[in-house]
Amino acid sequence: MMILLLSLGIVFSVIVFFPSFSDAESGPKTFVTHSGAVIQTSGEIIDPLYTVSTVEFDPMEFLRDFNYGKVSQLSDGTVLREFTIVAEDDKIMEVSPGVFYNVWTFNGTVPGPTIRSTEGDLLRITFINNGSKEHTMHFHGIHPAEMDGVFEPVGGNGGQFVYEFEAGPVGVHPYHCHVMPLEEHIVHGLYGVFIVDPKEERSPADEMVMVLNGLDTDFDTENNFYAANTIPFYYQHHPIQINTDELIRIYVVNMVEFDPINNFHLHGNLYKYYPTGTDLVPSFYTDMITLSQTERGIMEFEYDFPGKYLFHAHKVEFSEKGWTGIFLVNDPTKKTVLEIDYGTK
Amino acid sequence: MELSNNMSKGKIIASGVIPFVFVILMMVYIFGPGADLLDFGVLLPEVTIEKIDFIDSEIQATVRNTGHIPVEVVMADVNDRIQPAAVEPDRFLERFETTLVRIPFEWNVAEPYTIGITVEDGTRFEKEVEAAAPALELSLDLAIFFAIIGTYVGIIPVMIGLLWLPFIKKISKQKYHFFLALTAGLLLFLAIDSIEEAVEVSDENLASSFNGTLLVATVTVLSFLGLYYAGNKLVSKANSSKFTKPVAIALMISIGIGLHNFGEGLAIGAAVGMGSIAFSTFLIVGFALHNTTEGLAIAAPMSRGKLMLGKLVAMGIIAGSPAIFGAWIGGFVYSPFTSVIFFGIGAGAIFQVIVVILKWIYDENDQKLSTMAVVSGFAVGMSVMYLTSILV
Repeated sequence: MMILLLSLGIVFSVIVFFPSFSDAESGPKTFVTHSGAVIQTSGEIIDPLYTVSTVEFDPMEFLRDFNYGKVSQLSDGTVLREFTIVAEDDKIMEVSPGVFYNVWTFNGTVPGPTIRSTEGDLLRITFINNGSKEHTMHFHGIHPAEMDGVFEPVGGNGGQFVYEFEAGPVGVHPYHCHVMPLEEHIVHGLYGVFIVDPKEERSPADEMVMVLNGLDTDFDTENNFYAANTIPFYYQHHPIQINTDELIRIYVVNMVEFDPINNFHLHGNLYKYYPTGTDLVPSFYTDMITLSQTERGIMEFEYDFPGKYLFHAHKVEFSEKGWTGIFLVNDPTKKTVLEIDYGTK
Repeated sequence: MELSNNMSKGKIIASGVIPFVFVILMMVYIFGPGADLLDFGVLLPEVTIEKIDFIDSEIQATVRNTGHIPVEVVMADVNDRIQPAAVEPDRFLERFETTLVRIPFEWNVAEPYTIGITVEDGTRFEKEVEAAAPALELSLDLAIFFAIIGTYVGIIPVMIGLLWLPFIKKISKQKYHFFLALTAGLLLFLAIDSIEEAVEVSDENLASSFNGTLLVATVTVLSFLGLYYAGNKLVSKANSSKFTKPVAIALMISIGIGLHNFGEGLAIGAAVGMGSIAFSTFLIVGFALHNTTEGLAIAAPMSRGKLMLGKLVAMGIIAGSPAIFGAWIGGFVYSPFTSVIFFGIGAGAIFQVIVVILKWIYDENDQKLSTMAVVSGFAVGMSVMYLTSILV
């Protein structure tokens, strides 16, 4: 009787401590490494570099998405642009295949929407804080002190504040939450890009926004991932399609925390670089810029030859942890990229 | 009368069983309807990288779920750089389940590597290897190499130590007690050494959920009790069988030392396996000097019987040869868990031998342990071991 009970107890504890071992899928799978080796496995593949994950946030959509606001004209002819920005801090998002992270968002995404205006426009931004903590919007640029989003914390669960100021100066600027502890509010994702166009428009181009950011998913004040537009390796497995002989203009903003610098290297080309975008004459013609925290600028370039070109941080640690991508340059008049031979055979 | 006897037997069984029934009921309640009551706090996922092997163009990490909740292995990295990898059999780990993470990587010999594993909430766990070395492949050459090392470290020094036998045979009773106490001192040092080694291995390689120090303590005590019981049986039969009491004691010492040397063999094999070759040369020289004293420990009790050369050699082999098996296992199929277990068993075996020796001195020495010969012998034994251990 005792023995029976004891053995029952043992079986019971075995069931408690070793619940059903998960079943492996049958059949071998293969994957290719960086160096081209083909690896076969009877198990599963974990590969954030080339795995095409379905992400809630679409970096491809964000790339060319500019938010001009609700436009109207004041009696004196000034253009009024109205925006509504909602902050939240309870969202759990899959940031890399299988990795779930609590993102704090402006309008549901990291980065928040790209706010775009023309110099001299009046901006009216209704900020609603639906988070559980206090948040604000602090714009880099020129504005009155009470519109700075620092000393006017907006309470959570529906608190509101209306930021109103004249757009300026011309250039590309970040905006971000400025509630203490600041680092925490920034690294969780409360930031975005604010573009002020000159009154005389820049030349037409294929324009895009790249926010260089990092994710510290285990809160050890070191980034576990880096990216252009949040999702690591995204533009590597989803190359950005552009055309030869077409002007490309990138508004690039560095929001990486913890690491003092970031940089941007372009392959097979050089770009004109306008630091902060405040001057209409480029300061550099280079393939490498170094960016400190919230440092930003505008890059302009054209490709002469079709094909695949990498762009990435030349701080290789960052690129090997996600901040890397590919431009797929198509020649609209000639053959497609797929027909190009790489290397010598 | 018989009926009431049965009745009371039933009652005894029932009273023994009832607490079990309540324990089971409580468990069922806690895991069932009462689960909400205890559902507080945040359970964090935890994995431990138990083992890292460097094979041809690939790094393999054995990962165990050592937390309280199931985890999912989602990413691998080498030196904090993300790498594509395969997980076999799969990436979902229940509690205590292990998986093999295969990371294709062109690693370089003798360079340090840190392997990182990230789980689904973004937490990264890592383990560092000081110098990459190819995992040893089972081959005849290597097996012979390990056998030679084991012989150098185990058998030869023990045999040399046994050569003290004629010397011990000729000395006075007081001096003989000195040497017996010295043996106990030597052994106590070895036992502490084994425990320290076991705790160190478990701290470095086993997850905290194994309760490393308590595991060592439990194994040591169980080993002590088991061998103590078996040893007493052996000694009590000694008078009637062909074994004499000194032979029985020497045999127990040999077995205890053999178990200890098995642990040493594991350490040497593992050191070679991890590529710290220079370290293992040192280890071998040190162990050889150190182990010479173990021969003395066997010789001391044997000196009071007739000289039985065959038995003496057999005991030398029992004490020394496990170093060879240890080196094989340590080199080819090293697992930190088994090595902790063996060090624990070795420590228990030695404690048991110490008790037997002290008891023997006590009986022979007119129920006294506090004579000058015994106390100084013990102290010298510990000191000699400490000094030779500096060489290791």
